[in-house]
Amino acid sequence: MASKTEPLLVVRGALRRFGDRTALAGADLTARAGEVLVLLGPNGAGKSTLLRALAGRVRLDAGSILIGGGAPHERPVRRRVGYVPQSIALWGRLPVRTNLEILGRLAGLPRNAVKAAVTDALAWSGLAERADEPVATLSGGMQRRINIAAGTLHRPDLLLLDEPTVGLDPLARQSVHRVLEGLRDRGMALILTTHDLVEAETLADRVAVLAGGVVRAADTIPILVGGLFGSDQEVLLMLASDPAPDLRDFLRTILFSPTNEPCLWIGRLAGGLEGLPGLRHRLVGAGADIDELRVRQPGLHGVFVELTGTVPHS
Amino acid sequence: MTWSVVRACFLLLLRDRGALLMALIVPVVFFLIFATIFATAAGDQLQLRIAIVDEVNSEDSLRLVKALTEVPAVRPVPGNLTRESARDLVRRGTADVGLVIRADGEALATASGLAAPPLLLLVDPSRSVTATVLAGQLQRAYFTALPDVAVGRVAELIGTEFTEFTPAQQAEIDAGLARLRESAGAAEGSRPAGWSFDDLLERDNVAGQNAALNNVAYYAGAVAFMFLLFAAAQGALGILDDQEAGLLDRIAAGPGGIDVVINGRFLYLVTQGLVQTCLIFGVAWLAYGVDVPGNFGPWLMISICSSVLAAGLGLLLVTGCRTRAQAQVLPTVVILIMSAVGGSMVPRFFMPHWLQQVGWITPNTWALEAYSGVFWRSETALQLAPICLGLAGIGLVALGLSHWFGRRLVRD
Repeated sequence: MASKTEPLLVVRGALRRFGDRTALAGADLTARAGEVLVLLGPNGAGKSTLLRALAGRVRLDAGSILIGGGAPHERPVRRRVGYVPQSIALWGRLPVRTNLEILGRLAGLPRNAVKAAVTDALAWSGLAERADEPVATLSGGMQRRINIAAGTLHRPDLLLLDEPTVGLDPLARQSVHRVLEGLRDRGMALILTTHDLVEAETLADRVAVLAGGVVRAADTIPILVGGLFGSDQEVLLMLASDPAPDLRDFLRTILFSPTNEPCLWIGRLAGGLEGLPGLRHRLVGAGADIDELRVRQPGLHGVFVELTGTVPHS
Repeated sequence: MTWSVVRACFLLLLRDRGALLMALIVPVVFFLIFATIFATAAGDQLQLRIAIVDEVNSEDSLRLVKALTEVPAVRPVPGNLTRESARDLVRRGTADVGLVIRADGEALATASGLAAPPLLLLVDPSRSVTATVLAGQLQRAYFTALPDVAVGRVAELIGTEFTEFTPAQQAEIDAGLARLRESAGAAEGSRPAGWSFDDLLERDNVAGQNAALNNVAYYAGAVAFMFLLFAAAQGALGILDDQEAGLLDRIAAGPGGIDVVINGRFLYLVTQGLVQTCLIFGVAWLAYGVDVPGNFGPWLMISICSSVLAAGLGLLLVTGCRTRAQAQVLPTVVILIMSAVGGSMVPRFFMPHWLQQVGWITPNTWALEAYSGVFWRSETALQLAPICLGLAGIGLVALGLSHWFGRRLVRD
């Protein structure tokens, strides 16, 4: 296992095209053992492609990925990596235990080590009592936990999870979060994708924001926020109607950024709340029909908007 | 509103190439194939490949051979054949049936039925109907080409059994008829009065006396192999289920990669096929007396090789498809056509010669020939080795191609 100081994962200039579309355009990333790294970004930013490249499922056109010093498609490296697909990648008609036993062997566990690994996985995922029931009969949250457990049977150093809580209710989501935190506490490095910023704030030791196939920034949330906003406040401007071209130009000159909603613009306010009336006056003067003007402490949402130019789904 | 549903159905059909193929093209193809097969089998287009050997070379025998070869339903196998080479051709299936005008039999003109008949039919029990067809054609040729011989025999019969029709002769005719009536129940070994064309014929089983004359064995092989293919294709579809569930992606990310999935499923399909074959032949043995235990070694060898082929082919047909819809239609179409042409539905000798030749492209033909070799011709494992190696070899090549296509299933 890599030491705390040396990166377990190093991605340099990852480039991957699918026909005319560039999914990864030179992404750089590092991850260390025992940390949770959350990949954020709008649809098409390259999150899933990067994750699948880390899992050895996508070959790069250029650039490199090293996991513990080896390439992802090398057999010894695959034994160090666990992959949890977005779908419930299990045999629904087979019992939980049988699923885990088979997938444990397929993950490279020796025959005599499978039973202990399955028992351990059932214990920490809280599913020991349901071990002999078919997967399809369990709740969505339980299925997700088994899905994750199946990726960890061979005790990988690096666990890759593609939207591990998608479609779950808040309670089931919490149970999955507890499982993921438990894995991190065992020293495993976790890299996961999500569209849920609250989930990212809850789980992430570090966040990597992707847009256009590159990693725009990767760090802890406070550092990202501090680096982007300093002492500035975040301002949300909701217009009553789509802005005219002149107004759009004006908004850009005062450092407001458009979002994927035409009426919603996000900017920053320097010098505290006392600057707000002056800003409002300038906006009205430029012809803005203001529906809402809100000031808030910048957070991951602001980082996302600032780096991607889009508003996150959640 | 109803028409909106009709419109939606047609639009969906037009966008689903697999369904479109199944609905419009496949029925036409099947019609053509079955029309070709059954028009031949049920009509007068059946053409037999006959290995003819004239050991006598008399005027009568030459006339008979000439007349027989002019019958449209007969296609002589070319070459100067001997009795043994003709027998070998029939054994190997190169000829459907053989005809020997034998030197060690009675003469065509004077055959009495008490000694060896002049005509010997070399028959493969798996195609015994061909002997019946040949006997009919032979009878036709005999009366066409040798009417003098036929009438001469009748005259001889009249001369032997009747006299001129004077009152005195009439009494003798009555007495002759009485003798004919009495001779109808004559004991074996005594010559019945009158003559029959059958007096001229003797049938010789080229498989020897131990061959089980049982059509069940043919259909056990035919049905077993066809369903072996269907079951393999159906079982191979599970790969697409795994792909849709994300299992393929998960397993492919593991140390074994996609190769583990393909190899594992291949072994499963081989085992499934073997169990299936065991069940079918088990029933054939218990219910119909097909001698499976007596031919266990060669039978097992063919069944394993057939299962290997079916497993490889099933995987190839499924992994070669780009969508699930294709994978549900294409294997069915391919297997049905192979089974029809390859003899799993109708014995191949019923088909026109060109279609019989096409049949050799299909593994069904190979497997059926191998099973016929075991149960009809009592062939040994060594004799069956080439065809078995062919079956297994093609299965393994298909497995290799499935690996290549399988990688495409999980490749981005």
